[in-house]
Amino acid sequence: MVTLKFTATSLHPLPASSFRMSELIIPSVQKPISNKRDSLFMLSRVANSLYWMSRYIERSENVARLLDVNLQLMLDFADFDEAQLEKHWLPILCSSGDEKTFFKLYQKADSESVTEFLTFSEENPNSIISCLFSARENARQVRDQISLEMFETLNECYLFLKSSNAREIWQTGAHDFYEQIKKYSHLFQGLTGSTFTRNEGYEFINLGKFLERADKTTRILDLKYHILLPSVSDVGGAVDAAQWQAILRSASALEAYRRFHVEDILPKKVAEFLIFSPTFPRSLLSCMQHLDEDLHRLSGNERREYKSAEERAFCKLLSDMNFMTIEEILKSGLHQFLQLVQTTLDRLDDHIYQEYMYHPPVDTQSEILLHQQQMQQQQ
Amino acid sequence: MIPESSSSGQVIRSQGPWTEPILLSISHLTSYTYEGAVQDSFNEARLQPITDTLQECRDFRFMIDPASSVRDYPDFYANCVHYFDVPHPHESLEVLAESEVQTLTETRGPVPEAGVTSLQDPSVKEYHFHFLHSSEFVSLGADVWREAVDALPAGVSDVWNDTVAIGEYIHRNYKYTPLATTVNTRASEVIKKKQGVCQDFAHLMLGLLRTHGIPARYVSGYFLNQHKLPGEIEASHAWLEVFIPGYGWKGYDPTHRREADTRYVKLAVGRDYSDIRPVGGTFRGKGTRKMVVEVSVQKIS
Amino acid sequence: MLLNNYQTDDFFDEMFTEGGNGVRPHYQRVADRLQLLDSAEQRRKQTAVDLAFMRGGVTFTVYDDDQGTERIFPFDLVPRVIPDTEWQRIEKGLIQRITALNLFLHDIYHDQKILKDRIIPPHYILGAKHFRREFMGFNVPKDIYVHICGTDLIRDREGNYLVLEDNLRCPSGASYMLENRAALKRAFPDLYRSARVQPVDNYAADLRKVLQYVSPPSLGSAQPNVVLMTPGVFNSAYFEHSFLARQMGIPIVEGRDLVVRDARVYMRTTSGLVPVDVIYRRIDDDFLDPTVFRSDSLLGVPGLVHAYRSGNVSLANSIGTGVADDKVVYYFVPKIIKYYLGEDPILPNVDTYLASEPEDRVFILENLEKLVVKSANEAGGYGMLMGPWASKEEIESFRVQVRANPRNFIAQHPISLSRHPTWCNTDLGGGFEGRHVDLRPYILYGEKITVTPGGLTRVALRKGSLVVNSSQGGGSKDTWVLHGDS
Repeated sequence: MVTLKFTATSLHPLPASSFRMSELIIPSVQKPISNKRDSLFMLSRVANSLYWMSRYIERSENVARLLDVNLQLMLDFADFDEAQLEKHWLPILCSSGDEKTFFKLYQKADSESVTEFLTFSEENPNSIISCLFSARENARQVRDQISLEMFETLNECYLFLKSSNAREIWQTGAHDFYEQIKKYSHLFQGLTGSTFTRNEGYEFINLGKFLERADKTTRILDLKYHILLPSVSDVGGAVDAAQWQAILRSASALEAYRRFHVEDILPKKVAEFLIFSPTFPRSLLSCMQHLDEDLHRLSGNERREYKSAEERAFCKLLSDMNFMTIEEILKSGLHQFLQLVQTTLDRLDDHIYQEYMYHPPVDTQSEILLHQQQMQQQQ
Repeated sequence: MIPESSSSGQVIRSQGPWTEPILLSISHLTSYTYEGAVQDSFNEARLQPITDTLQECRDFRFMIDPASSVRDYPDFYANCVHYFDVPHPHESLEVLAESEVQTLTETRGPVPEAGVTSLQDPSVKEYHFHFLHSSEFVSLGADVWREAVDALPAGVSDVWNDTVAIGEYIHRNYKYTPLATTVNTRASEVIKKKQGVCQDFAHLMLGLLRTHGIPARYVSGYFLNQHKLPGEIEASHAWLEVFIPGYGWKGYDPTHRREADTRYVKLAVGRDYSDIRPVGGTFRGKGTRKMVVEVSVQKIS
Repeated sequence: MLLNNYQTDDFFDEMFTEGGNGVRPHYQRVADRLQLLDSAEQRRKQTAVDLAFMRGGVTFTVYDDDQGTERIFPFDLVPRVIPDTEWQRIEKGLIQRITALNLFLHDIYHDQKILKDRIIPPHYILGAKHFRREFMGFNVPKDIYVHICGTDLIRDREGNYLVLEDNLRCPSGASYMLENRAALKRAFPDLYRSARVQPVDNYAADLRKVLQYVSPPSLGSAQPNVVLMTPGVFNSAYFEHSFLARQMGIPIVEGRDLVVRDARVYMRTTSGLVPVDVIYRRIDDDFLDPTVFRSDSLLGVPGLVHAYRSGNVSLANSIGTGVADDKVVYYFVPKIIKYYLGEDPILPNVDTYLASEPEDRVFILENLEKLVVKSANEAGGYGMLMGPWASKEEIESFRVQVRANPRNFIAQHPISLSRHPTWCNTDLGGGFEGRHVDLRPYILYGEKITVTPGGLTRVALRKGSLVVNSSQGGGSKDTWVLHGDS
């Protein structure tokens, strides 16, 4: 008996903003000392900031899209009662692991409270505004690494969100609001592609983007996993069909799917599409292939080589997925598979962190403070 | 170091300065225990006894646990400073200095008279500038000035005699009280509390001497404690030296109300405690749980 | 046309001769070009320059809130022109000065002969805030203490160049010098070409050579790794730090990017720990290392001073140069030049009175309302009394301060700084008016001493103001040293 549990692996801990993490980390003596003197180096702190800047922007775009799609969906189901509303919105809340924080601030989960929480709440580290704040802080730390246009775009987006104008737009026409957020993200990513120097930093930006995107795709799919359990009969009905369409829309995949599968939207096909499609750029497989390329470009290793157990686990999963079928996944359980992918991606994030940026701190942030040796009084 | 005391607990004054040279064996251990593991520890130590006309450091061993490479340099006051770092995580740090020092008899002859005009000479005022002005622990403010006037109402007539007089004044008005102060206590606070340990008495007396224009410097080191109880752990000691024009530097110990004789071994000199910290540094981590200092001074011959 | 009503008043004017009748020969070309300028064209060119500066991030940041507002250091289009023969004298004088100051620094951190010979009363040095006694006897690489120096020059009513102060710790403004030149070239390309101006673009390359020259001897012939150390993005001069680092092609790092292992300094990179050999540090001595200096500094690197002491890393400028940055030491510079070089200063000081010298103190206290009194230790134009313009309260307050702490004050007669035609916006559109200027050339001391031709001309934009600092209403101009004299 499977319970409806939506505790996904929590999105990476974000104490305030991860740009502060660089203060935490001190490399241990074991870190190999490079003998290169004349190559161009990338500071660990800069790599970290670029990676997180990229992840946060991608995250904010994904949240914007998710909320937009689901709000549109609610227009069709205006007669939902409280229980139904909660049943619809709760999984979305849980997909980012923030339901505890939410219930501290709000009484019930409905369209307004959830979207407000995920858009404007500064107490929620994964809200759009928090993500963009963190992205901007990280970008500020590496001002001279990114192009002026990139920074200005990010800055504008943040200032837009902080303005009173933003709230008004959101209240009167949420769709336009989320469109604007997406536009800023696209502009930023486009500018990155066209103005960012192709150095190591570019790899870190891409790693951040694709890792976040892959992770988000698994969470979107996970929202409806229980429908696909082999033992549960097809729930069917208009509601479900609309929800599956929403799933596709959340991944910007509806048109691409339709081009591929002329027939109706079938849950199994949707899952297969979002996981395996080699042509759809947001599919899990596509994202992971990008990650693989970037990891190897960064490490300079051959395709079959890996630097750590985490990287190996990732490469192995990718390799398996190249030959997996959707039936195999459904047989052993879609949720379990998605959990595996999320865990593997999480571990990969750790790998990137440990390999290129920092060694873990002694324990927690509070332990990396600088102290003076206690002095002895002369008697 | 706990000053010598009789069985009644009174700080006693010895009969007269010791003049015979003594060979001493000294051990000074500083142990830190930390909360959890700490790392990136960078430190400096002033634990090597000086060699000059009054003492000769015959042997010196400096050991750190966890082991690390140690370097040294002479600082502004010609103290030998050892510096070392312990980068990797460690839960404790032990710094051990062991030395053999031969103290020597004073050969300069009797202390000449030196009146207040000798102190006005530019060569005194300028070359000993740092020993005549405020420093971190000894701020020459109104309170120190008032105390200096009380200690020596007629002003300076002879440098050494007045030094001794100021020492007597401190003895009459201040009480040796462990735990009344901390390692960070400034001279002004000592004046308020009227209590302290040798570090505080040294700072206090420096303030009074400097206010009267007598160049005086802080001395960190050890002394041979004849009246030490068996098993009693000691700490390092603080006293001072005054500059007597026409003679040079001469040591005076306000805690024991006596001149620093051949029982005394100097580690370092400076303006005040901040210039001679036996062990100091920084590290990263949660903090220090405990610090233990164990000093032992034994006469060999 | 816009220059027709220009008044030189009672000041030495850079462009016009006495009375405003004639144009100095080296300004002829500029004057001719300005005659063709109308206010619309001026506005267009100015806007273009301002926009380029804003977009390019040629700004300094003012932090009123945690966001920080970025302001352009206002730039005036009219260049200041210096003929070659005049410049050669300035250059000789600056080279003489820095040579002497470097010898002075070496001396006071070693044998202190100048103090023993009673040229300077020792207490000025021993009591100086920035005298780093920890570095007595320390041998700096190639015996160079000051690698980069910015010396401020002014001109009196007769047009003589005088030294106002030396900046030997972390002199700033070189980036503006370079950006201003680029801006002028874009604004007046034909004028620039025909004027035959000596280039300043070599600055970054020259600076890099200097930094490489002082790399630790233990390195041998290997290529040194040079980095620029900045307090970070929140520092008001961050633009300059990142600009210079990029121009030199060296990494820019903060304290937290560096780590010391076994008395060597390393950069934390994605490829592991990379050794650092030379640090061009734009952080004051006090904040460099919490183990040895200020323990509350979050900008520094624990162990950096140990590494420096072990000779494994070089710092530019060296630790301890601040003692020669002191306005009190400034007073003695002519004697310093005489003592070490046996020469009279080519560029004289402004006549200065030292409050801690008894005769000078009497003079100062009797004439407070006529003098400019400055705090000996503060940069940036704060802590200053402008006697002739001050209120009675301000004067009395300074009287008390000077009596209480004479060591901390110097005084000078107000100098009528030279003026330069500068565009001033008025309600009626605008025109050229005279504004006071100074000059900050940059001197680099490496294998040889080079002075970049020109430097930063700063202009006090407020009418009548003599204060040129960016934080207090100053602006800048491009400075042209011609290949010839006209």
